[in-house]
Amino acid sequence: MNLKENDEKLIDIRNLTITTSSGQILIKDITLDMEKGEILGVVGESSSGKSLTAKSILNLLPEGLHWEAEKFQVMGLDYLKEDPDKIRSFIGEKIGYIPQNTGNYLHPMIKIKDQIADGYVLYAKESMEEALARAAKLVSAVGIRDTDRLLNSYPWQLSGGMRQRVNIAMALMNKPRMIIADEPTAALDSTVQRQVIDLFKIVNQNHNTSVLMISHDFGLIKYYCERILVVYAGQIMEEADRDELFNNPKHPYTKALIKVIPSLNIKKDERLQEIKGNVPDMRVPVKGCVFKDRCPYRKEICDTEVEDKLINENHYYKCHFDL
Amino acid sequence: MLNYIFKRIIHAAEVLFVVSLITFAVLLWIPGDVAQLILGSDATPEKLEALRISLGLDRAWYLQYWDWLKGLFRLDLGQSYLFGQNVTTLIAQRLPVTLSIAVFSMLIASVTAILLGSLAAIKKNTKTDYFVTGLMQLGSSVPSFWIGMLCIVFFGLKLKIFPITGYVPIEKGFIPYLNSIFLPSFVLAIGEIGMLLRTVRTSMLDSLRQDYMDMAKVKGLPKVTVYLKYALRSAMIAPINVMGIQFAKLVGGTVVIESVFSLPGLGRLILVAVEQRDIMLLQGLVIFITFLVILISLIVDIAVMFLNPRIRVQMEGE
Amino acid sequence: MGKNKMKVNKKYHLLVGGILSFLVLSLCLVSFFYTPYPPNEMNLSDKFISPGDSGKYLLGTDHFGRDILSRIMYGSQSIVIVCLLAVAIGALVGSVLGGVSGIFKGRISSLIMRGIDGLMAFPGILLAMMMVVVVGKGKEGAIVAISIFMVPSFARLVYSLILDSESNLFIKAAKSYGITRRRLLVKHYLPIILPRLITLFTACLGAAIMIETSLSFLGLGVQPPNASWGMMLNEARQNFLQYPYLAIPSGIAISLSVLGFNLLGDGLNELFTKRRS
Repeated sequence: MNLKENDEKLIDIRNLTITTSSGQILIKDITLDMEKGEILGVVGESSSGKSLTAKSILNLLPEGLHWEAEKFQVMGLDYLKEDPDKIRSFIGEKIGYIPQNTGNYLHPMIKIKDQIADGYVLYAKESMEEALARAAKLVSAVGIRDTDRLLNSYPWQLSGGMRQRVNIAMALMNKPRMIIADEPTAALDSTVQRQVIDLFKIVNQNHNTSVLMISHDFGLIKYYCERILVVYAGQIMEEADRDELFNNPKHPYTKALIKVIPSLNIKKDERLQEIKGNVPDMRVPVKGCVFKDRCPYRKEICDTEVEDKLINENHYYKCHFDL
Repeated sequence: MLNYIFKRIIHAAEVLFVVSLITFAVLLWIPGDVAQLILGSDATPEKLEALRISLGLDRAWYLQYWDWLKGLFRLDLGQSYLFGQNVTTLIAQRLPVTLSIAVFSMLIASVTAILLGSLAAIKKNTKTDYFVTGLMQLGSSVPSFWIGMLCIVFFGLKLKIFPITGYVPIEKGFIPYLNSIFLPSFVLAIGEIGMLLRTVRTSMLDSLRQDYMDMAKVKGLPKVTVYLKYALRSAMIAPINVMGIQFAKLVGGTVVIESVFSLPGLGRLILVAVEQRDIMLLQGLVIFITFLVILISLIVDIAVMFLNPRIRVQMEGE
Repeated sequence: MGKNKMKVNKKYHLLVGGILSFLVLSLCLVSFFYTPYPPNEMNLSDKFISPGDSGKYLLGTDHFGRDILSRIMYGSQSIVIVCLLAVAIGALVGSVLGGVSGIFKGRISSLIMRGIDGLMAFPGILLAMMMVVVVGKGKEGAIVAISIFMVPSFARLVYSLILDSESNLFIKAAKSYGITRRRLLVKHYLPIILPRLITLFTACLGAAIMIETSLSFLGLGVQPPNASWGMMLNEARQNFLQYPYLAIPSGIAISLSVLGFNLLGDGLNELFTKRRS
């Protein structure tokens, strides 16, 4: 956990908890800090709550879910106090979102050019021509050659990879101060993957844009992120700078993930076969450690309690033992 | 996709054929002698026989049907014995009234249903939603002729805003015309809003759940844009289909409404034909109205295809 | 939280619909044994008495001095009998037609379904009016007219349900065991079809009441002096500009009974859908 007190934080969330209407806890006490210009990676298996965390920042929690937190500030804007309309336009202006590619994030009945540019026209107060010129530039930056044809297409005329590149270009339209990317490269082949990630790095360096990247792909996160959060069953298991995390992993789950890396290709929606057992059923509150059922080091104490440990101000993990 | 249009037209033609067969068969079974009906009870047997032959009633039913069918292709629906005029002429005289009411009430119903249905979907499970859906339930349970009578008393007699009865053709001025058809159209629309509103609400709810709505929100677009540009666009396909079906029901519904407001439209003509057992007139009216309805639903189907760009572009590719 | 509210809403459909339908049915039953006055008894000295004017007539009297309450009660008989019977006949014929074309397929099926498509193409009460010409005005005409109107919905429902359940694994398995057709129908198709039939039946009752009252409003249904709600409204037309109260009770009676069966249909639909999922 990053304990530096600093008002200039990009994201300052304390003890975020997300529950369903029936009281099921999906995310418990997640604390998230981000500095300006930082690239933060969140890694975990699917349904570990990593996407939900991102969606709470984007004010997109699905209906029926409820969040609460001790503190929830993004770029100084207090989500706990601010009016929803203000939050909405704030997000539109300052944050770019690259969604998981599995969904239909582009409207099937609207041409690309009419949906890629509307946010930009609104917030940059530019003309439509100017917006389309910018869109063409960004679209070619993510590796699309025939930009004219692409902009005049409907989403369903494009392949999954093409659509995802449109999403990425769309997120960059407003020169956002922060990008939230949820499995941004899942549908792309490895060449384009590299191209896109390099583009993120360029944007990050040139405009000091922060990136919050969510992935199940530990290899990608390792290559790309400066600081990493390991999430499991709605809780943070371990948090550290990249090199620290890989040289000195403390939590059994992190260790297991690192061991799995060489295969590098965890398929989405598939639990990690290499780690025995399942993500616990979150409808029943878990006593003690949430990872205990799959943990090779399980002791009796894990059934009743779990300990937060801080090795130094940049390295946190949630386990009794010092392995 | 042209293939689809072709199939759809073939289907419509089939249905029309079945409809003509049913209409003809049903009215063939009518008890009593048509010649007797026309000439009255004091006609001599010779005269009756002569009329039967001239009407072709002595021939086999399929020959009669064939003749009638051939007439249909020439837009000749036969003679009304009651009016002594061509059925086609009678229809042409009264069509503007019925069509005005049907189109106008469809307009009222669509606009109301789209507005209120979207509102109910956006405010799902709130008091607004319950109020709107409850009102719609009530609206589709109240018989139009009763509402019509109440409206005549309230708007016509108490407030004196609208004329109570009668029809003013559009040639005599647009405002008087509008005045004369507004109340009947409005009353007819009340019964139609319910089902349409339900469809709009359901498909709007579905559309609001889509991922692209998330994206529109994240882009910080104003609510109006989000709902109008993104949500309503994909939510309109199912309601347009329903509108086609509704229109058919509406044309039938004018029978009652025209009776309440004493309007000289097709509905009144049907009622007269039924009461006086003017078979040729009834046959002609039924086949004409049904043809109109089938044609409209065909057009709506094809229109929906064109509205849905996915299908449209596939078609261009062919 | 949203979910709980939805549940309340569903129960409310079933409850209100049930109560209203029950009221209509009991009104009909009571009218067989008791009405305040004989429904067709004219009393010209007591005509056009407004509901409040005399203690004798709760809902007032009409242009012949007949007691409106008694006529409303008596009129419920024609609604209940005509509509129940008509929908039952329509349901039976429709289900048989749909069932036959679903099970036998081939030529018979396409012939029947074409006919159904044709029937469905007739707009509104046009078909009903045509049947009235054939059968004649009155109860019988109304029953035939309404039942024909109901045939397509039932035929289509049964047909599509059978086609859907063809792909059902249970039924595939049962067929491979060489089960007889009758057992197949009773043990496997019926449990799928019956709830949907009941739902459609209830919903159709609402529509049937609409048609019946429309027909009798147009003077094509139940004939005078017998009372029916639609005809009472028709009779009220001559005098309701002076005596608006004439048009109130029968209008409310029609609206509430249609609303009742519609709500009950919705409620049943939601109930069965929930159970299936």
